[in-house]
Amino acid sequence: MSDLALGASSAVAMPAHRTIVYNEDIVKKFVIATMFWGVVAFLVGVVLAAQLAWPELNLGISFTNFGRLRPVHTSAGIFAFGGSALIGTSFYVVQRTCRARLFGGEALANFIFWGYQFFIVMAALSYVMGFSQGQEYAEPEWHLDVWLTIIWVLYAVVFIGTVVMREEPHIYVANWFYMAFILTIAVLHIGNNIAMPVSIFTAKSYNIASGVQNAMIQWWYGHNAVGFFLTAGFLGMMYYFIPKAANRPVYSYRLSIVHFWSLIFMYIWAGPHHLHWTALPDWTQTLGMAFSVMLWMPSWGGMINGIMTLSGAWDKLRTDPGLRFSVTAVGFYGMSTFEGPVMSVRDVNALSHYTDWGIGHVHSGTLGWVAFITFGALYYLVPVLWQRQRLYSVRMVSWHYWIATLGIVFYITSMWVAGIMQGLMWRAYDAFGFLQYSFAESVSAVHPYYVIRLTGGLFFLIGMLFMVCNLILTVRSPTTERPEVLPAGVAVAGE
Amino acid sequence: MDIEASDLIVGIMVSVFGLIGLILAAGATDNEMYVFGLSLAGFSVVFVIGLIRRHYDKAELRQKRLRGEAGHV
Repeated sequence: MSDLALGASSAVAMPAHRTIVYNEDIVKKFVIATMFWGVVAFLVGVVLAAQLAWPELNLGISFTNFGRLRPVHTSAGIFAFGGSALIGTSFYVVQRTCRARLFGGEALANFIFWGYQFFIVMAALSYVMGFSQGQEYAEPEWHLDVWLTIIWVLYAVVFIGTVVMREEPHIYVANWFYMAFILTIAVLHIGNNIAMPVSIFTAKSYNIASGVQNAMIQWWYGHNAVGFFLTAGFLGMMYYFIPKAANRPVYSYRLSIVHFWSLIFMYIWAGPHHLHWTALPDWTQTLGMAFSVMLWMPSWGGMINGIMTLSGAWDKLRTDPGLRFSVTAVGFYGMSTFEGPVMSVRDVNALSHYTDWGIGHVHSGTLGWVAFITFGALYYLVPVLWQRQRLYSVRMVSWHYWIATLGIVFYITSMWVAGIMQGLMWRAYDAFGFLQYSFAESVSAVHPYYVIRLTGGLFFLIGMLFMVCNLILTVRSPTTERPEVLPAGVAVAGE
Repeated sequence: MDIEASDLIVGIMVSVFGLIGLILAAGATDNEMYVFGLSLAGFSVVFVIGLIRRHYDKAELRQKRLRGEAGHV
């Protein structure tokens, strides 16, 4: 046990006089990685938005081509920024709520961190070099998939091992959400990436399924990547950090359990709504649509529980902008989980699919829910992990909040208008039954909205830079140091 | 020499990954596999060096503590 105290960690005294020293070094590493990848993801997003508005910015170079940079943006946003935030907070939460140090030792935790970062860098490099499976959110080729599987299985071993070794009899609900995220992502990743490489020395591979079966498996994976990576994992984050920041218990623990089981049961069936009006059988599309509509209820169960946890502590929204991020995130979660079921209805989908409405919907979820709940957790975590008295500047957090919120509003409203306009232009017929607009006309019509979207993305990036500056200064500035506690009875000058 | 089991198991596992990386790079038929193989080997070397460094850092700190030269971290 003596080695345990060598790292920067916090200790908890147990009733039986046994001290548990949490591994917080690993959480710090993931926090730093989250901030770094957040900047990368948003920066590449801004570049892509500019390329869509002004295609000359592709520069005529293959490496800077939209098609190659787009998966860099999505992977950096989801897997690098979101993934680092999820793994880091899950390691923090599981130790605290189970009163157990991370299972497997320091070396294994470090391997998970560096191995995951290695995966992200290699995947990004492979995209710009032009290698891709061509499946959304599952672009890495087989060798990178195998590497990620190894990392993920070890992550599951560490997390579940810690839960098994817990000192606390109860498994707190946040850990259930994290476990659902870890286990389901493992199943999805392996299921969607069963592929035959051309040879062991060649990056190219072919998926075991083809045609509509391949599309169905891809969207079973794709939609549940949203459901279990971007939803269940971040709900785990919500269930720990909102009660902690608000200093209130979860509004309804019973509701958290009910919406957990109903959410994970329903999400897994909703994938076919990505394939409406395709070669997929009608009954499968209807099944996906029905489950998507039903999914509205468990989603809102989580939203209600998150927001109502502030009962009796609403005043904190005025004084704690970090908590304001978390609560606004839950609001965006409620909004995007209402919009999703609406868009999954086949007749609505006929208008919305393949348009920028989908892009707007995704970003209300990723920027409003995923990024905001992460920002709230980071503003809470950094002073705790680095043992600082407070954040460097609460005013700067407030600026971040309003700039980022304005950015999201610009982004999603412009994409709604652009998307609905595209959908209407593509289905418009003239008196003779010919299409009224060419595709190029619809591209030209959305140009102003693409510029507004770029402005929104830029705002969001600037807000992120505010946060990075603020958190670096929180760790480094002497003004945030914890005051030394004077021993009892010592006189203070001026008293 | 007091080596933690976790360090030893992870060290051996990562070394094996490094060797696999070298094999992949040696036989690679495309740029992607060549870059991946070499990077994996490089990653493994750096990671194992980090494990060794941390091991000696801890041993040194333990010695200092025994001599009463270092406070609690």
